[in-house]
Amino acid sequence: MKPLLLHGHERAITQIKYNREGDLLFSSSKDNKPNVWYSLNGERLGTFNGHQGAVWCIDVDWTTTRFLSGAGDNTLKVWDCETGKEIGNISTNSSVRTCLFSYSGNMAVYTTDKALKHNCEIFIIDVRNVDESISHADPILRIPIKGSRVSSILWDNLDETIITGHENGDLIKWDLKSGKEISSTREHEHLINDMQWNKDGTMFVTASKDHTAKLFDAADLMLLKTYKTERPVNSAAISPIFEHVVVGGGQDAMDVTTTSARVGKFDSRFFHMVFEEEFGRVKGHFGPINSVAFHPDGKSYSSGGEDGYVRVHNFDSSYFEYNFDY
Amino acid sequence: MGQPMTVERVTTRAQLGQNLTVATQQSSPYLERAQKWFFSIKFISGALQNCDILFPRVLLYRSTLTRVKMAKKKVDDKNSLNGNNTKNESDLSSNDDEPNFSDPEGYVDNITDEELLADILKQKPKETDGVESVIVVDGVPQVGPDRIEKLKSVINKIFVKFGSIVNEYYPVTENGHTKGYIFLEYSSPVNAAEAVKLTNNFKLDKQHTFQVNLFTDFTKYEAIPEEWDPPKPQPYEGQGDVHHYLLEPDAYDQFAVVLGQGQSVQIWQNTQPDPSLLEERHAWTHAYIKWSPLGTYLATFHKQGIALWVGQKFSQYKRYAHANAQFIDFSPCEKYLVTYSPQGDPQHPQQKGIIIWDIRTGQEKRSFNPEGPSSWPIFRWSHDDKYFGRVGNDVLSIYETPSFGLLEKKSIKISGIRDFSWSPTDNIVAYWVAEDKDVPASVTLLEIPNRNEIRKKNLFNVADCKIHWQKSGDYLCVKVDRYSKVRKEKNETKYSGMYCNFEIFHMREKQIPVDSVESKEPIQAFAWEPVGSKFAVIHGESPNINVSFYEVRVGQAPILLKKFEKRACNHLFWSPGGQFIVLAGLGSNGGGSLEFVDTHEFLVMNTTDHFQMSDVEWDPTGRYVTTSVSYWKTKVDTGYWIWSFQGKILKRVNLEKFAQLLWRPRPATLLSEEKQKEIKKNLKKYYPQFESKDRMRQSKASKELIEKRAALMKEFNEYRSKRIKEYNENKQRRLQLRNNIDTDELDADPQNVEEEIVEFFIKEETTILD
Repeated sequence: MKPLLLHGHERAITQIKYNREGDLLFSSSKDNKPNVWYSLNGERLGTFNGHQGAVWCIDVDWTTTRFLSGAGDNTLKVWDCETGKEIGNISTNSSVRTCLFSYSGNMAVYTTDKALKHNCEIFIIDVRNVDESISHADPILRIPIKGSRVSSILWDNLDETIITGHENGDLIKWDLKSGKEISSTREHEHLINDMQWNKDGTMFVTASKDHTAKLFDAADLMLLKTYKTERPVNSAAISPIFEHVVVGGGQDAMDVTTTSARVGKFDSRFFHMVFEEEFGRVKGHFGPINSVAFHPDGKSYSSGGEDGYVRVHNFDSSYFEYNFDY
Repeated sequence: MGQPMTVERVTTRAQLGQNLTVATQQSSPYLERAQKWFFSIKFISGALQNCDILFPRVLLYRSTLTRVKMAKKKVDDKNSLNGNNTKNESDLSSNDDEPNFSDPEGYVDNITDEELLADILKQKPKETDGVESVIVVDGVPQVGPDRIEKLKSVINKIFVKFGSIVNEYYPVTENGHTKGYIFLEYSSPVNAAEAVKLTNNFKLDKQHTFQVNLFTDFTKYEAIPEEWDPPKPQPYEGQGDVHHYLLEPDAYDQFAVVLGQGQSVQIWQNTQPDPSLLEERHAWTHAYIKWSPLGTYLATFHKQGIALWVGQKFSQYKRYAHANAQFIDFSPCEKYLVTYSPQGDPQHPQQKGIIIWDIRTGQEKRSFNPEGPSSWPIFRWSHDDKYFGRVGNDVLSIYETPSFGLLEKKSIKISGIRDFSWSPTDNIVAYWVAEDKDVPASVTLLEIPNRNEIRKKNLFNVADCKIHWQKSGDYLCVKVDRYSKVRKEKNETKYSGMYCNFEIFHMREKQIPVDSVESKEPIQAFAWEPVGSKFAVIHGESPNINVSFYEVRVGQAPILLKKFEKRACNHLFWSPGGQFIVLAGLGSNGGGSLEFVDTHEFLVMNTTDHFQMSDVEWDPTGRYVTTSVSYWKTKVDTGYWIWSFQGKILKRVNLEKFAQLLWRPRPATLLSEEKQKEIKKNLKKYYPQFESKDRMRQSKASKELIEKRAALMKEFNEYRSKRIKEYNENKQRRLQLRNNIDTDELDADPQNVEEEIVEFFIKEETTILD
């Protein structure tokens, strides 16, 4: 089926996310204004206006009442989903690279970039009652990161641990009660751009600049599977209904001007989660894909690219009929 | 411990810990050593079962460190502290506050230095006798004591060139005359060896020639036994069957893959459905590789020369020492090997640039110096290895084998000869001569060795010629670039109004008739069908590139069979068996387009591409085609793809640093023509047999794949079931976090679902009513 092309951003898409029910699709871009769309028909519901810099990360809580966005203007903002009004603003020392609500939605985590004299830091904040006071409230926990900066983050479904992916390829699991590192692993050789849970939050898939996406066990960070491509991988997602992994990426935006779309390999690629075999590709973007997400019902998926488009793809019936023999 | 030192007090364990961390942060060789010391001491004290004794030891260790770091400063400090600047170990023990460092009474040090400091002792300098650096120079003039200084300065001048002379000894007789031999010692054995190499047999003057030896050589030669042991005859080691690869029952072909600058060379067998690796060696070659024309030998390039490898195990056959050889060429029957080293060997400047070797004996047959600009191969071989020739200034030199002399002892004088080419099947040479004032250009066919001109064709307005023999020697095509106007500009001739003629020589007909085909468009490529009578031409200017196919028939001018218009290709690759052809766009301009054409009915079997591909190669039987992107040309997406001759993709192999893929050639078939015809006729009979074989292989492979997948799935499911169990056990906790609303499934909590109806705008219609 023809994909829906969501053209509301003026610059490269940085992240896309569905809400829990999947009726809404949130997108952020370097053009400062996150958007929210009806995933069903691609109609734009609204924008979140207020950031002064590229928006790097977004999240929505499980009740779809509040929306988080972190940006290059050194702020993290909390928004009311229904009205699109800014209800909280936290100023930071450097760009906010990742942000997430906890499972309960009572807490949120965000991380800042390493910049000038400032170290990369992880902040856990209380977001039960957000108002203006949040801008000078102390965080619940603050973890300075001495080494490589955090480039992606995940929160477990018991509000107890977080997992961070780092610029050098490290994966670290943190205990939030003590603020200490529980375990870490180094399976990637390069920046981990994105991490996404499987449906039950026991495994997650990482997307790395080292041309691979990998599947890890959440409890002990054990490497389970590797999905190899020939280009940097920017994002990867796990189907909620099948053992499928979708991987998006492509040649770095920097090098793209000198190459054609064919060399860039800006396709979404589908892998079997267990066999690590590629079984399908979806073309369309004319720049690298920066973010992919499965609809929670598994019947469609979306991709956001450096070209500024979000493409919503509904799967054809052949996708549901396709089976691997084993 | 005689030096002044300071000791800071450590009284509590906590403080000790602190101090230790401070110490470990200062990393220095002293620290390491001190640590070792510390641990060994700890070991001893552990044996003494006295914990308190640890304190003084640690203290000692710490004090050593501080002493090293701040010895001087501390001395002053100490003066001011207690006015005693010669505090030493014995003082420490007498002080109540200071711990006791001395060994307990009756303590026996039973640990040797080797045990404690083995790694440090290893670095201890060893004695050498230094004899290796001594040379003995004989044949030195015998002089009296008055001239000894002069002799020394002369000798010094000669020998100091190889390194500094640390010692010299001139033995003298009772009356002070030198004895005619001297001893010199260099600072290193390398210098001594160099001196021996270059000054042995050095002529000082008419009477005196130096005989220079290493001093160690004397002992070596003294030890030679009186009686000579004849060397034992080595058992003959054959190379095994060098044609082993041809006995493969399924006639699978082999191909070689080179990664990087020869970092790795792989030999693959193109088995179905997946190729299998036969051999992989790292640093097998230092540049690239080459197969011999019949596929017997694999040639590798090395600094020292060329090596050939044969047989089932690819064992070394022979080496051909030609330093920095960069180009090689085999004679068609694999008897001779030509190597060319453009830089030559700096160690042997007298060695010539081109050497012709006998492959089987490894002997150098003849060497030449390259003369003037020429394209490789400079020497071109006749089909039967009997003759080889090269073109010079107004001469064509033909040499004979095995004498390697000029045919009839002289070159053939042909004024204005530009290029020549041997027929692939007969001892006939085709050459062309450029225009010169009143003499027209011409193409001549010359029989060798009797030098009969069997055909000559004059041509006018010729800018350039290219000679293309058809592989079975039936036809010769000379592509003639012609001009309508010519201008002379500063010694450069500029042609304009270019057009092109194809002169087709019918070699097998009486008198060799010549046909001509003219093309007004520029020609991009030309290729004969290897067997058969067709040729293909790419002509036109981008973007109107066309491909035309012609057929040559007996007693007829070539006829145009088919013209494909507007194609994106720049190279033609005929199947070695004819009939099938691949039209390819190579390089960055070509875009990697691929078109597989059956020229029987001019059916385009498949149109596809391999982006940025740099090479196309048919396997020797015409069943497969490989396209490859070499890292010599581009750095991204290097690798090779294997296609069937119909253009069906069989395998994509993306390999970093992939450089070269070469199919192993096969010798010509041994079957007679009748037999081949018979097989072709009965192809239908053989077909089902191969078909079933292929199907069996396919099903075996898919069965293996399914088994592999099933195993993976089983393992994964086992892991999953454990995690799912944990997940279900945590359900209560998850509910607590989300106000007891079950969000595990989208429709897990139907009571809590709030239905919202959203209206979408679909389309607007305007109807105008009258």
